[in-house]
Amino acid sequence: MDRRGFFKTMLATPLLTPLLLASKTTQGNCELYLIADSPQLFISFILEELQKYGISTGRNFTLLNSHPQENELRQILSQKGWQYIQNPSMADIAISFSSLRQDAIPSFTLVRKGEIWDIRSKKLYSLWKEMNENRNPSSCLTIASLKDKPARLFPGESVSIFKDGHRIETVSLKESQSKSFSARKGKITVVVKDRKAWIGESSCSHKICLYTPPVSFAGERIICAPNHFLLEVQGRHSIDTVIG
Amino acid sequence: MFVNRAWQHFMFSLLSAKTLCILILFFLFLIPGCRTGEKWHTSTFLFFDTVCEIKIFCSETASKSAEQEIKRVFSEIEGHFSPGIRDYASQPVLELFQRALNVYQNSSGCFDITVAPLSKAWGFFNGPLHVPPSNEINALLKHIGMDKIKEENGSLVLLPGMELDWGGIAKGYGIDLASKSLIAIGIIKGFINAGGDLFCWGQNPDNQPWKIGVKHPRKSGFLGVLSISDLGTATTGDYQRSFIETGTRYHHVFNPRTGYPAKGKQSVTVIGPETLLCDALSTALFVSNKPEMIIGKYPEYGALLIDSNGRISVIGKPYPFQPLK
Repeated sequence: MDRRGFFKTMLATPLLTPLLLASKTTQGNCELYLIADSPQLFISFILEELQKYGISTGRNFTLLNSHPQENELRQILSQKGWQYIQNPSMADIAISFSSLRQDAIPSFTLVRKGEIWDIRSKKLYSLWKEMNENRNPSSCLTIASLKDKPARLFPGESVSIFKDGHRIETVSLKESQSKSFSARKGKITVVVKDRKAWIGESSCSHKICLYTPPVSFAGERIICAPNHFLLEVQGRHSIDTVIG
Repeated sequence: MFVNRAWQHFMFSLLSAKTLCILILFFLFLIPGCRTGEKWHTSTFLFFDTVCEIKIFCSETASKSAEQEIKRVFSEIEGHFSPGIRDYASQPVLELFQRALNVYQNSSGCFDITVAPLSKAWGFFNGPLHVPPSNEINALLKHIGMDKIKEENGSLVLLPGMELDWGGIAKGYGIDLASKSLIAIGIIKGFINAGGDLFCWGQNPDNQPWKIGVKHPRKSGFLGVLSISDLGTATTGDYQRSFIETGTRYHHVFNPRTGYPAKGKQSVTVIGPETLLCDALSTALFVSNKPEMIIGKYPEYGALLIDSNGRISVIGKPYPFQPLK
């Protein structure tokens, strides 16, 4: 989705501007705007690409109104692993169709809170280019409203303890316990209780590790830099690393 | 007959040479997924007074070279920019000063590397942590301001009493240099995370954009997950280095105008192409009460702000972020 190209082909179409502005009111949601007479040919492919960006992680959809080719659309989406549900409030993707008052060149873009979301996907760019080169104007606008699903975290199984970059011990989160380790600045104590782990005592000067709240989800960590000490929760990871 | 044989021989040699070249090209370049011995390598080092985590996809030999390169770059950065080092004339210092000055100007002084005397007075350099008397803070304010520094004969000239604190930009600079070096030696995917300042490139082990958990500034767990690739990120928070005196929390991010810790936010995470700018902008946005105006000057950058009531807002360029409830 090329930003400049989008402005040329879509935003220049005055009838779309009110729709884009209206999307400002949908807090936290993304909208996929697709101009194509046969949306079923494109929508599953675009949605698959968007999922790679973490946009709309859910796999169920609903149709808010009818379209002449809706059966084909449902069939294509279900073949790709999406499930049709009737209740719009439960749907991850709500698809609606409307007719444009003025025909426009086939195109698509993603909008979040009234702003274009520039997705740098080669596949989407190729599709966008292909649609644009097909100069037969279309009169159907499809809007797929994508729910921002909260990311999923998994409870940890154990905590691994690293000193000077080397793993020195792994402690189960299932058993309450308290273990002390000798570190660069003296002693450091790891406490495990109620499937959570925290630093109970540390000889460091910062005390940042002591103030860090308990950790329990896979991937969470506590760092004590002066002691060269790292505590990381192990388990099924849904994240690659942690910042903050 | 002879001509015919010679021609056949010539054609055969040509064909063999061509086939050989194609085969070599095929094995070297056309099937990178099958490059022998490549796997994910994770390692941790201690630099910048924090734990640095590296994850890269490469061969065993390349991983060793990468580790050496990261250590070389980070040691060099520490050599020029660590607290107490008074290097005002080396090429990296002059280069980074210009980058810092640019953010200083674009943020109306909210990002300022001359806050070192304040950090010292509050005890964030060598302790003890305490609230200095207000007259001491007011007296120090005359030593603050990057616009007071001149560059003469290839060296920075500081007024008496001034001192530099590179803590809000040098780590990002180091990460950018190290990741560029790793990409240059052919490492096509990985990340460098130095205590929360990070650059990631290529895809993660699931062939997806990297999933980066953003720590909650107050509670256990994460604020949400960023899904990014070929981007840097940095966070400034009031929880990273702080102390509590008479029931009030005082942290290490100073408002250069008041001399007191900046108010109004718990944390700011900036995402964008250069970790250096993410690093500096996260401080600038944390300090500023008009962060939208600053981020507006950097169209390729976006930020997650958590205000003092814990409300999240996204400003600037939106990047894929899934909040956690």
